[in-house]
Amino acid sequence: MTTIRGCNLPEDLYYLVEKHVWAKPMGNGVVRVGITAVAGKLSGGKLAAITVKAKNIGQEVKQAKSIATVESSKFVGPVPAPISGVLLRANEKLAADPNLAVSDPYGEGWVAEMQATDWDGEKAALVTGAEGVAAYQAKLEADNISC
Amino acid sequence: MADTKVFIIMTSGPDTPRRCATPFFFASLGAAMEYDVTMFFTIDGTLLLKKGLAETVYPKEGGKPVSAFIQDALDAGVKFLACTASTELHNLQPSDLIDGVKMVGGASMWQLTEECDTVLTF
Repeated sequence: MTTIRGCNLPEDLYYLVEKHVWAKPMGNGVVRVGITAVAGKLSGGKLAAITVKAKNIGQEVKQAKSIATVESSKFVGPVPAPISGVLLRANEKLAADPNLAVSDPYGEGWVAEMQATDWDGEKAALVTGAEGVAAYQAKLEADNISC
Repeated sequence: MADTKVFIIMTSGPDTPRRCATPFFFASLGAAMEYDVTMFFTIDGTLLLKKGLAETVYPKEGGKPVSAFIQDALDAGVKFLACTASTELHNLQPSDLIDGVKMVGGASMWQLTEECDTVLTF
């Protein structure tokens, strides 16, 4: 576990830093995606809902386009797709407890799974490992964000 | 889904603060869902676009002012249109309104609602 400015940012994930989302290859081109601890902080910490757009299940969503929405009393915003892919399924546990995405963002609180359509081409836009966490740290410092 | 068009007609104004947050919240949410969202302000809704006014309207005591909900919607990419006739009703000039608002006549409202998939009225 790597903690940067109070934010838990594991090195084994791929981050789309600008959008505060992560991706994790699960095998056979399936990629699990979710929001980072930073996104949880920015949304105010207590969520009212995370809703994956049902119409998008089975459809291709392009990188950085919205796959879900986050609602809190302070904030409403998209969960952008870290990669392009066909949206396979939503994490149904979030319907009962959206705050799993804040309390356990990289575990039980994942948002959706996608079948990547261009993982090899698009992963260059993501950051990972120690370098990735360093790049995320630079973003947090530039924007003066702490968790 | 970027082609799905949503049109929100906002008639509520500073006399009914509790009716002035949700329309902007829904608009921001629609934009976050990749809908193409337009808000059309008429009757008292137009008053919320008067410079400095929305900062003084609080839907919930101790909560955010309407201006914060407006800013969230603009940041999310929601388009704002104001009805010219309603500005006359309130003796407002186009320059009295916040930046980012386009003035249109009532006929535009008819055309836009026809083009949209969903119309909400508040």
